[in-house]
Amino acid sequence: MSIEEGAKFVAAAYAVILAVLVLYYFISARRVNALRRDVQLLEQEVQRRQAGAGEAGGE
Amino acid sequence: MKQLLSAPALFVEAGICLVAGLLLGFLYAPIDASSMGFSQKIFYYHAPIAETALLAFGIAFVAAIAYLRTQDAKWDRLGLVCVRLGLLFSLLVMITGMIWGKAAWDAWWAWEPRLTTFLLVCFLYIAYFVLRSAVEEEQRRATYAAVFAIIAFIDVPITFFATRFLPEGLHPVVIGTGGSGMEGSMLVSFLISMLGMTLLLAALIRRDLAVEELKDRVADLKHTIGG
Amino acid sequence: MAILRKDLIRELRTREMLISMILFVLLAMVIFHYAFTVKEGADLTYFTGGMLWVTFIFAMLLGLNRSFAQEKDERCLDGLLLCPVDRVTIFLAKTAGNLIFLLIIQVVAVPVFTLFFVERSYAGDLLPFLVVLLLADVGICALGTLLATISMNTRSRDLLLPIIFLPLIVPVLIAATGATTLIFAEGAGFGGLLARVLFLLGFDAVFIVAAYGTYDFAIGE
Repeated sequence: MSIEEGAKFVAAAYAVILAVLVLYYFISARRVNALRRDVQLLEQEVQRRQAGAGEAGGE
Repeated sequence: MKQLLSAPALFVEAGICLVAGLLLGFLYAPIDASSMGFSQKIFYYHAPIAETALLAFGIAFVAAIAYLRTQDAKWDRLGLVCVRLGLLFSLLVMITGMIWGKAAWDAWWAWEPRLTTFLLVCFLYIAYFVLRSAVEEEQRRATYAAVFAIIAFIDVPITFFATRFLPEGLHPVVIGTGGSGMEGSMLVSFLISMLGMTLLLAALIRRDLAVEELKDRVADLKHTIGG
Repeated sequence: MAILRKDLIRELRTREMLISMILFVLLAMVIFHYAFTVKEGADLTYFTGGMLWVTFIFAMLLGLNRSFAQEKDERCLDGLLLCPVDRVTIFLAKTAGNLIFLLIIQVVAVPVFTLFFVERSYAGDLLPFLVVLLLADVGICALGTLLATISMNTRSRDLLLPIIFLPLIVPVLIAATGATTLIFAEGAGFGGLLARVLFLLGFDAVFIVAAYGTYDFAIGE
């Protein structure tokens, strides 16, 4: 197999690997950020409700 | 030091090593003398991914044992993440293995030891996820998954051994797996790529682990609010 | 011991499962014949080991599913767990029970199989054959029992067992079919089969130890 033909296959292989892994990393990173936001929002909500309950209990 | 170990940093480090390995593989190491010729260069990523996949499963194995001992959910999360990544890497091994096969032997598939073992490995760890999805209660799910992760990992070398050595006697081993020694320049390229892949695995583990932890946290918080 | 006896007695009384498994195995052989002899006079000599073991493995899946499902339905397991019995003993008893069932089926199936598919007499190699049979059986039953215990407690129950069991049992399949086909097709003594026999032995040892370590968790509540 000549170098040109072989190169096509090799390039394809490397491209697949890098594409998949790099993509996976960035998707994962985005999910982390989205989830962090979710956690923040939820924690705020919990605090709000606890504050509200505290007031209600205090009355 | 901690900075160096954070996910983004690891990713960059991995990238550096991988690119270095790539360049070395193409520019520094010679073209393989065997019939594979240029297509042998796939090896510089293919082999590291394979070993990294197995490394991931090994970590899952250890995590599984740790979980069974401590019942601490963090081990279950680590196991889950490692199996998932290991599976991803294994699929990549299969894909690149087939591409390499096509380039080197002009056949997309051959029932040779490494491809077959990784095929089985894929089935095995897909079964891990099927198992997980069949159990709703957290504690039990983690326990069963841990037991399976342990059994599965033990089976991997056994399977490789079986596919490699046992079929002889009835028909000759079809394709040699080319485990010949590597000369210096090839070795260097290989090792650096290997390091790169391992670092990449570490980066991905950290990221995914964070995802799982946060997912659990979200679920907990929702529970607090709803309940 | 008592557990073993209990399982055996229950089965011998109903014989449902055993009869079904035996019928399944025999029917599978007939199906194999029609499946593989599309070409006139096709030579199946080198397929024999494979056909035999595939049948046994699938029969075992049926049997494991059945016996564990029954147990679950009758809540025997809960009662068992209340006894001060070592969990691992339960494993050994169940495995032994399953092993005996498998052997019973094989006692019927192997002669019929030989009649249908094996041309040369392997009486000379009977001992190696039986050793291979037994070792492979132990592997199948030990792993099967462990995994069935897990799968029975899940949502998908009997659907899950093949998925988790089959990939793990492939090495045994490779070794057993290789050895069996060699015996049926060419004849082989312990010498030629040594690698496979040792492999099966090793497999059994490894997985029994693994089951020892994990069965507590598999069955635990």
